[in-house]
Amino acid sequence: MRQLTVLYDASCGLCKRAQGWLMSKPKHVELIFVAATSDEARRRFPQLNHDLTLTDLTVIGDDGAVYFGPKAWLMCLWALREYREWSLRLSSPALLPTAKRVISTISQNRYQLEGLGRVALREAR
Amino acid sequence: MDVIVVSYGFYLAISIALTVWVAHTLHKNGRIFLVDVFHGNEPLADSVNHLLVVGFYLINFGYVSLALKLGYDVRNAREGIEALSWKIGMVLVVLGGMHFFNLYIFSRMRRRASIADAPPPVAPDAYTAVRGHTYAPTHGSV
Repeated sequence: MRQLTVLYDASCGLCKRAQGWLMSKPKHVELIFVAATSDEARRRFPQLNHDLTLTDLTVIGDDGAVYFGPKAWLMCLWALREYREWSLRLSSPALLPTAKRVISTISQNRYQLEGLGRVALREAR
Repeated sequence: MDVIVVSYGFYLAISIALTVWVAHTLHKNGRIFLVDVFHGNEPLADSVNHLLVVGFYLINFGYVSLALKLGYDVRNAREGIEALSWKIGMVLVVLGGMHFFNLYIFSRMRRRASIADAPPPVAPDAYTAVRGHTYAPTHGSV
């Protein structure tokens, strides 16, 4: 696998922050960011259920392998040079259930978390 | 010749022989690891292997010569053998420690190298058609 397409929620600030962070890191595998449900996403993956991609992060390999939710996050880590070891560690049988739970919680509350971050920033100023 | 000088002679002979034997084992069997780590680049593997063995010799001979002095008088053969046994035991423990440390370094290098070719950590949830590609799963299934 040489390339992963990341379908992210472009209306969520936290996701855009995460995208910026992912883009700035050296990689083993190229990451291409496409806004979920955009025309570009529909053009690239004509058979995908695009409504589902808005509910959680989706990563698609150049071989058509679809990774959804926590698995998509682990695949993003796997693409990064400095974090591949972490992706392997977190997906070990002992840690995977916890990792999935934590990632799902963050993902499902992304709008609230973004709000919290903004409040914290405002109070810090 | 008094007992202590004979003990020192035996100590040096046995310690040097042991160090050479362990270093030789390390050199011979570590090479396979290193060739794997450096993706078949044999000259580089041989070079790193040689440098590791030089470090191994320096540390062990350094320890052997620092630990030579007994510090008390040996009056008969029995005391000489006891002192010798204690000293050789220490050399063996240090050699063992160094040997495992080397193995740890080899395995860590190997793990580092294998991470770059590691397959995806999780199996995909599904497969979809990609524009410009045909449907062709290359690993695992849902």
